[in-house]
This record gives sequence, structure tokens and C-alpha cells, in this order.
Amino acid sequence: MAKNILGREIPEFIEGYGKPLLFGGAFARKPEGNAVGAKIRCVNNDSTDKRLPDVKAAIIASGLKSGMTVSFHHHLRNGDFVVNQVIDACAELGINNLTLFPTALFGVHKKLIEHIKSGVITKIMGSVNGPIGQLVSEGGMEVPVTLRSHGGRPRAVKAGDVHIDVAFIAAPASDKYGNICGTVGKSACGSLGYAFTDAQYADCVVVITDNIQPYPASPVSISQVHADFVVEVESIGDPAGIVSGTTRVTRDPLRLLIAKYASQLIEASPYFQDGISFQTGAGGIPLAVTAFMKEAMIKRGIKGSFGLGGITSYFVELLKEGLVEKLMDVQSFDLGAVQSIAENPKHIEISADWYANPWNNGAAVNMLDVVILGATEVDTDFNANVNTEADGALLHGTGGHQDTAAGAKLTIIAQPLLRGRIPCVTDSVYSVTTPGEVIDAIVTEYGITINPRRKDLLDACAEVKGLPLVSMEELSARAKKMSGPTDPVETEDRIIGVIEWRDGTVIDTVKQLKKK
Amino acid sequence: MSNTAQAGTLESMDCLVTATQGVPGSGVKVEITGSSAARFKSAMEKKVNEVVVSLGAKDIDLSIQDNGAIDLVLGARVEAALKKLMGGAK
Repeated sequence: MAKNILGREIPEFIEGYGKPLLFGGAFARKPEGNAVGAKIRCVNNDSTDKRLPDVKAAIIASGLKSGMTVSFHHHLRNGDFVVNQVIDACAELGINNLTLFPTALFGVHKKLIEHIKSGVITKIMGSVNGPIGQLVSEGGMEVPVTLRSHGGRPRAVKAGDVHIDVAFIAAPASDKYGNICGTVGKSACGSLGYAFTDAQYADCVVVITDNIQPYPASPVSISQVHADFVVEVESIGDPAGIVSGTTRVTRDPLRLLIAKYASQLIEASPYFQDGISFQTGAGGIPLAVTAFMKEAMIKRGIKGSFGLGGITSYFVELLKEGLVEKLMDVQSFDLGAVQSIAENPKHIEISADWYANPWNNGAAVNMLDVVILGATEVDTDFNANVNTEADGALLHGTGGHQDTAAGAKLTIIAQPLLRGRIPCVTDSVYSVTTPGEVIDAIVTEYGITINPRRKDLLDACAEVKGLPLVSMEELSARAKKMSGPTDPVETEDRIIGVIEWRDGTVIDTVKQLKKK
Repeated sequence: MSNTAQAGTLESMDCLVTATQGVPGSGVKVEITGSSAARFKSAMEKKVNEVVVSLGAKDIDLSIQDNGAIDLVLGARVEAALKKLMGGAK
């Protein structure tokens, strides 16, 4: 058993994962050698139509066999019909022992549990949420789940850690030769950002669409040069689950207070000036921070350069009102965002690689000034956990947490101190997702807690009258006093989850829960 | 006459306590379920027992459905349920 730089014990060898590399710091590992690539294909003018009659025909044509790796992207979110359709078809064709490599899974995918139990899927590399997460946590899979960030995933593909045999790409619009985009059609989802890497690096790319356009379709996100086959199905998803109608700012006074403090911290920082760039995601508190920042920007006559990441109507409003110049969109969360990316050239679709991959010539996160994130818990060393819940169950993907925290100049975690009785500040997080070295401040209803490593920020905040600064010691003592002593999580020795840092080193592992 | 009393709600950061009079000699039994039980069972049991002892309650079944109550709330809800039950028994 070796320890990584954060003192987390990592075995020399993890069954089903291999020999882990130890996390050695946020920017410690550097790549060597060349990127790997997809199989070279050749299509001449004897093939001018890539359409096949159904999903099964495409699976057969793709050459997919038992033991291979299949990938999916998650822009259809909880409305997705494609993952279940494809895996059902694989099961009917007698294919098993598959490795599932999704960019994320949602509640709608709980149907996969039957395929996990019957051995159609034996390995998952990607987030496991809800019922699948619970199953995995209780030991329902023989092989541990590998968790990677949005940037770590394309890195792993490019570096050859993961080889995609067949990528299935859900496309709200496609022509018969596989020019696809996400902004038009009844199942429009906006950006197709996460699908780009899969299209570029898979040996075979199957486009699944419910909206065939005449050749050549336009606009094009991912072009025909990547597509092997095109399948038209009745529906790729339920529009109600693909995009939410509106995203709302929280009305909870406690969360509004937290958002207000976070906004005050941003205003006090040296980054609150013309050209500021930020990412706030779609959570209740971060959206409220955006609303407060907007007020502050108008009041102080400041204009931003860009908003990044998952884009909501709130960001679209900022763009329309000229408070940011551009939006860089890897995932469009609501109807307003989908319409905007379709119509406004200043709203740019970016791939996950462009967004967050640490191993390219510079990801968009590097240009971020401020990011607002959440966490299930943070410890007194500022390490954050977003993967496991208080009871030790592995229920959440990493998302862009690691990437934006590593990229942004000011990384803020905004979170109530207690969720129910469970404190969000602990002595040591149950599992680490993101190291304290890239987290600059925690904001709770009790005020702003700045990482002592950021003396410059502490000084900047000290100059502003009335900013509620709370030391980590004080915050942690308060959490302890309110929540009382905790019982330890009871686990088996077996590892069921491996959490990779964005560079492919192992930052932590998650153990199987003891049966109650 | 009822031999069961309840106090509390299932709102966030509250708990619903159901106290039932047991047969003489059955002792005090406490069952805790809900969101905090995984990590706070020991602390919760300690608090519940404190209240039970302070009120001199005997032969009681206590069922606590927790939704994240801190000790202060938990103690108050247990006290209320027990007082309702013991008051009604007079």
C-alpha cells in the first residue's frame, strides 16, 4: 500500500483497474510520446449513403463483439433513449462483457441494472448516479468504476488509456452521410461538446438520429469524415428530459445569503474588472451568484469577456445584454441556451477536449477567472469531495469540478454548512475529488473562508469593509458543534471506485459499503 | 384511549417521533431511520436516551423518522412525544 501526496492509501494494484499511478500534485504529471488514433477507414464513391435500417444492423455492421468498449455522450440527459436502446439491442444479439464508457449516466439509465446483473455490461468508466451508483457501492459490479473529469476523459482517450471500439452518437439532426448537429430537430439539445472526442478517436462511429436532413445538412458540429453508419430511429429522447423549460434562481433565503457572500468575494477580488470570465453551472446557488454578479457588473460598469461550461438562460441573458462578449458552451442546459447556440454566432460550441483536457495546447478552463462550484464536503485542508455521499455511497460524477478548479484563478465552493445534520466541512473528506491546492475559498451562510495559501485574496478581502471572513478553524468548529460526532462509514476492503485526477493519476479510491 | 403519541414533521432538518406505550417490563426500545442515521446513529441514540431518562419514561417504543434534525430538535421532539403520551395516560 502506497500513499499519494494527499496521504490517501492506494494499493500497488487494483483488481480490474491495473497498476495505479499516484497523484502527485495538480500539475505534476506531464505527457510523453504521441497521441493514439482511431482505425484508418476508406470510403469511396461506391458508398454515398451510410444509413442502416436499425440499431441492431448498425451494431452488427460496426463489428462490435463481446468484451469491447462502447461510448455515449450525455447531452440528452435524463431524456435519453439511445443508451438503453443500444444496450438492449446488444443483449438481444448475445453480446456481453461490454465496457460502458459514457460521459455521464442519469436516472433514466437505471434500466442498465438488469444488463449489469446479466453480464452484458461488466465495467463502467464514467459517472454512476442514483440506483446504479447504489448498486456499485454495495458491490454489485466485479470491476471498479473509473471516474474521470470532463477533461480527464478526452485526455485518457488521446493518451491511449481508453480505446473506444464503437461510439454511439445521439444526433438531433444528421444527413445520410453523417454530418450532425445538436441545435435543430424535435430532440434539439444544443451543444454536442462531449461527443467530439468519441467521434475522433473511436474505431467505429454510429450516428443515431430521429431527424434525417437532406445532404449536406447544416449547420454541422461533427462532420461526415467521422461517421461510419447512420441509423434513423423514431425518437432519440424525450424533449421534457433533454432540456428544462427554465432554470430558476433559488428562493431559499439561506442559499441566497451564501450566493450574496460569494458575489461579494468576487467583487473584492482582483478579477472583478473588465474582461472577467466565469463559470457558474446550473445549481441553485451558482445561478444566484450569477444574478448578484450581474447587478454588481451593471452598478460598477464592468463588462465580462466570456461565460464557460454548461450554459443556462441566465448566461444567455448576460450575452444579450452585452455583459459578456461570448459564451463557450460544452452543454446547453435549457431551452434558452439551445435557442441561443442555434442563432447567435457569439455563442460557441466547444468540445470537452477544448473545454477541459489538461493534455492539449491549452484548454478553455485556463482562461477562466472565476468558477463557482459545489461539493458534498470540504475538509480543513480545502480538499473537496463531489463523488461520494455522507453514507459513503458513490453517487456522483466528477463533471468539470477538477478541471475548472485547476484552471480558474479564483475557485469558490459555495455550500450551506449543514445539509440536514450532515456538515459540509469535515476534518478529512471521505474521498477526495479535487485537492485543496486548487480551491481558493469556501463560502457558507457563516461567511467567506479563504484558503490561507491565498494570502493575496485575504489581503484584498481585508480591505473591503463588512466582508464576513471566517477562518477554517472557526468554520470547522462550528460545523462540529452543530452536527455532533459522526460514526465512521463501515466498509469492506474491496475497492469499487477509482477516482482519477484529470491527469490520469489516482487521487483516491472508494470502498464497498458493508451490508447493513 | 390512545397509547401512541407523535411529535415533529418530516420537513428538512426535522424528525417525526412516534412514542408507543409498551407492555410493563418491555423496557425502552428506540428505532432510528432516515437521512442522518448512517453517520449519526450513536449521537442520536445518546440524545434520545438522555431525554427518556430525564422524563423517567419506562416501557416505551420510540420510532424516529429522521430528516436531518440536529440534537436540539431531536431532543425537543422526543420530549414532546413522550409528554403527550405520558400526559394522556394519566
